[in-house]
Amino acid sequence: MSNKVACSHCHLEFSEEVMIKDEEHYFCCNGCQGVFHLLADEGYDSFYAKAGDVKLTPPTEQYEDSSNFNAPAFYDRFVKINNDGFSKVSLIIEGIHCSACVWLNEKALHNMDGIIEANINFTNNKANIVWADEVVKLSEIIDMIRAIGYNAYPYDAEIQESHANKERKDYYLRMAVAIFASMNIMWIAVAQYAGYFSGMTQDIKTILNIAEWILSTPVLFFSGWIFFRGAYYGIKTKVVNMDILVATGASLTYLYSIYITFFQAGEAYFDSVSMIITFVLIGKFLEVLSKKNAADTLDIMGKHIPSEINVLVNEKIVSCKLTDAKVGDIVVVSSGEKVLLDGEIIKGEGSFDESSLTGESEAIAKYIGDSVISGTVSIDADIHFRATKDFEHSTLSNLVHLLDNAMAKKPKIEQLANKLSEYFSTVILAFSFVTFAVWWLWPHSFEVAFMVGISVIVIACPCALALATPVATLVGLSLGAKRGILFKEAAQLETMAKVDTLVLDKTGTLTIGKPEVVQEIVLEEFDRSLLYAITSSSKHPISKGVSAFVKEEEFEVINFDSFTQLQALGIQAQLGSKELLGGNYRLMKENGIDVTHESDKTLFFFAVDKKLVAIYELSDTIKEGAKALVEDLNSKNIDVIMLTGDNENAALRVANAIGIQTVLAQQSPQDKAAFISKLHEDKKTVVMVGDGVNDILALSSADIGIVMGSGSDIAVDVSDVILLNDSLSSLNDAFKISRTTYGLIKQNLALSLVYNGITIPLAMAGYIIPLIAAISMSVSSLLVVGNSMRIKLKWKKN
Amino acid sequence: MDGWLIAMMLGGSIFLGGLALLAFLWAIKNGQFDDEEKFLNAVQYDGEDELNDAVNLERKKKKLKREYRPE
Repeated sequence: MSNKVACSHCHLEFSEEVMIKDEEHYFCCNGCQGVFHLLADEGYDSFYAKAGDVKLTPPTEQYEDSSNFNAPAFYDRFVKINNDGFSKVSLIIEGIHCSACVWLNEKALHNMDGIIEANINFTNNKANIVWADEVVKLSEIIDMIRAIGYNAYPYDAEIQESHANKERKDYYLRMAVAIFASMNIMWIAVAQYAGYFSGMTQDIKTILNIAEWILSTPVLFFSGWIFFRGAYYGIKTKVVNMDILVATGASLTYLYSIYITFFQAGEAYFDSVSMIITFVLIGKFLEVLSKKNAADTLDIMGKHIPSEINVLVNEKIVSCKLTDAKVGDIVVVSSGEKVLLDGEIIKGEGSFDESSLTGESEAIAKYIGDSVISGTVSIDADIHFRATKDFEHSTLSNLVHLLDNAMAKKPKIEQLANKLSEYFSTVILAFSFVTFAVWWLWPHSFEVAFMVGISVIVIACPCALALATPVATLVGLSLGAKRGILFKEAAQLETMAKVDTLVLDKTGTLTIGKPEVVQEIVLEEFDRSLLYAITSSSKHPISKGVSAFVKEEEFEVINFDSFTQLQALGIQAQLGSKELLGGNYRLMKENGIDVTHESDKTLFFFAVDKKLVAIYELSDTIKEGAKALVEDLNSKNIDVIMLTGDNENAALRVANAIGIQTVLAQQSPQDKAAFISKLHEDKKTVVMVGDGVNDILALSSADIGIVMGSGSDIAVDVSDVILLNDSLSSLNDAFKISRTTYGLIKQNLALSLVYNGITIPLAMAGYIIPLIAAISMSVSSLLVVGNSMRIKLKWKKN
Repeated sequence: MDGWLIAMMLGGSIFLGGLALLAFLWAIKNGQFDDEEKFLNAVQYDGEDELNDAVNLERKKKKLKREYRPE
C-alpha cells in the first residue's frame, strides 16, 4: 500500500506515485499546480491558511473560449449599464466551498483594473460585478475567475429572482416597523388597562394615548400601505375584499382614537389599529413566502435550446444562428447533440432518442433518406441532414409556442379563503353601519354610536381569517417536503384537494423507464465477463440494461484488441482470436448468424465466434405500488387515466397489470394536451403526472402538473409539484397531504368564523371594551395557529 | 407621579427604540441580511491587508467615477 498525500491546492488525497512533485509540494493535476503558483505569484497565498483543510474542486483546464462572452448578443442579454455608465453583470460562481474561496475571488477581482465592485454571496454562490467596460472586458473577468481555479457563468438576474426578492424585502421592512411599534404599544396598553381598572388621572391617560398615537402612525401609513393599495384595487374592480375591511377598520379606529385623545374622554383604540395591521400583514407575508416566484415562469427558449447550429457551407462546417438557418441548408449533427431543425438525412446513420416525442427511451435507428425531427437527440449518430423547415416552422418551435400558450392559460381555481373573505367583508361592513345607525337613532350620542359601530369592525377584523389559510398551507408544504414532495406554490395544495381526474404517463411514471432484462435464454455456456465488458462500454439503453443484469460478481477488467460500436446495430469486439458480437437482429443477420427467436419484447443477441450463445428479452418494468395507488384513488372517486406515446399492446399490458380502465395509446405531446383540455371542458379538475419532454405540454395545461424528480429539466420547470424520490407512494402521499391541508384550511376558517359569530353580537350590543378587543384578537389567532400545529403533530406520529 | 416625568421617559425610550429600528431598516435595505454566512465569516479575515484593499478599491472607484466617460 502506498502513502496517500494531499494535493497542495485542492487537498484531495491520492497515492504518492501518481502525484506531481514540485519542490516540497505535491499536486494531483496540472490545473492545481497552475493555480497554486498563480496564487503565490500574485500574493494571494494566505488563501491556503484561511481555507484550512477544506477540500476544493480541482480546476478543469479545458474551457471553451471565453471570447464569446464579449459578443454583442451576450452583452445585450446579461450585461446591464448602471446610472454611472458602468457595466454590471450577475454571475454564478462554481467551486466555492468555504468562506476563504469567497475571500480569494473577491480579492482577485478587486485587484483587477477597471473593476469597482465585486460582491459574492456565500450562501448561493451568486456574484454581482460592476466594472468599467472600456478598461476591462467581461471575458477577462471570467478568465481571471477561471485562472484561480473556479468557473463562472452569467445568469439573468432580472427574470430570475430580483422581483420576488424585492417583494419579500419590502415585506420585511413593513413587518419590522409593524412588529416594533406593536410590541411597544402593547406595554403602553398594559398601563392603560391597569389604569382602566385601578383608576388613573386623565392627563396620564392622554400622555399614554399620545405615545400610542406616535407609534401607531407609521404602522398604519407605512406597514398598512399594502392594505390601502389593495383596497384601492378592490374598489376599482368593484370587489369587496379583505383589504377594504382592514383599511376602513384601521383608519376609522385611528381617526376615532385621535378624536378621543384631543377631547380627553373615553378609551382610545390605537393598540387595535396596530395589532390588526400587524397580524394581517404577517398572514400576507406567509402567503408571499409560499408563493411561486417569478423565476419559475421562465424563458424556455433561452434555457433549454442552444442558439447556434453547425451548417455545412462549401464543404466547411460553420456555426450559424439557429434562427438564420434556411430550408435546404445542410446541418451537421454529431453524437450526443440535439437536432434543432426538421430535415432528411443525406449522410450517415445511427440511433436517435425520440423520447421528447414519444416518451419511450428505446433508441430509433435512422438511415439515409429517413426524416429527423427537431427536439430529438442523436445517441451515436454523426449525420448530415437537409433542413426541410426553418426554425420558426419546426416541430420544436411549435412545441415551445404551444407550451407558452398552455402556461399562460393555466386554469386557476379560486381559493376558498378569497371567496369567503369577500362575503365576510361585505357582511361586516354592513353590520357595522347598521349597528351605528341603530345606536344613533336609538337615542345615543354620535360618539357612543360611532364607537360601537367601529368596535364591530375592530372585533371582526379578520386576523384569524387572514392567518387561517397561510398557516395551514405552510403546514402542508412542510409535511410534503419531509416526504420528498415539493409543492412549488401553496395554493396548489388546495387545488389538488379538489382534483377528480388523474392522468398518468406510462414510461418513467408508472414504469421505471429503462429497459430491464426480463428473460435470459442461454443457448451455450459462455464467459459472462466478456458480455459484461462489451455491454458496459456502450451507453445505449439496451446495453445498459443487459450490463446491469449480467453484473453480479466482480469481473476482471478486459482490454479488447479492437472495439467498434456499429451504429443502430450493436457492438463488435475482438479479443485474441475470439470475435464477439452483441446487438440486434440485423447485426446477427448481417454476420450470417441464423436467428429464429421471436418476441414482442426488445431482444439483445450475444454471439461468440459467429455462434449465437445467449438471447436477452428486455422490457420496461412497472414501479412498486402502482396497483395500490390505482385502487386507493379509485376508492376516493378519482378517475385514473393512462396516456402514452407507446403502442397499444405495450400500453394495455401495463394498464391491465395495475387495473387502469381508460387507456389512450400512441399519443403525441399535442394529443395529450388536447385530451386534458377536453377534460377541462367537461368541468374536470385534472392532475397530470409525467416525467419526460413529451409530457411538458400536458403538464402545463393540467390544473396540477406533477413531475418525477428524475424527469427532464424542462418538465421539472413547467410542473407544479415534484416527487423527489420518483415513487408512486409519494404520489399517493401528495394526495393525502393536500386533502389534509384543505381540511385544515376549512377547520381554521370555521374556527375564526365561529369566534366572530360569538364576538360580533357582543360588539353590536356595545359590550366590547378595548381590552376585550385586544385579547380576542390574540386568542382567535392563537386558536388557528394551535389547530394547525395539532395536525402537524398528528402527522409526525404516523 | 408627575405627568411630565412619564412623558419624558416614554418619549426618550420611543426615540431610542426608533433609532434602533431605523438602523435595522437601513441594514435590511443595504442587503446586510441577504447572506447569512458571509458577514459572520468575514470577521476571520479582517486585518490590515483587507483594510488597505478596501481603501484602494474605494480610491479606484472614485477615480474611475471621475474619469470614466463612456460614450
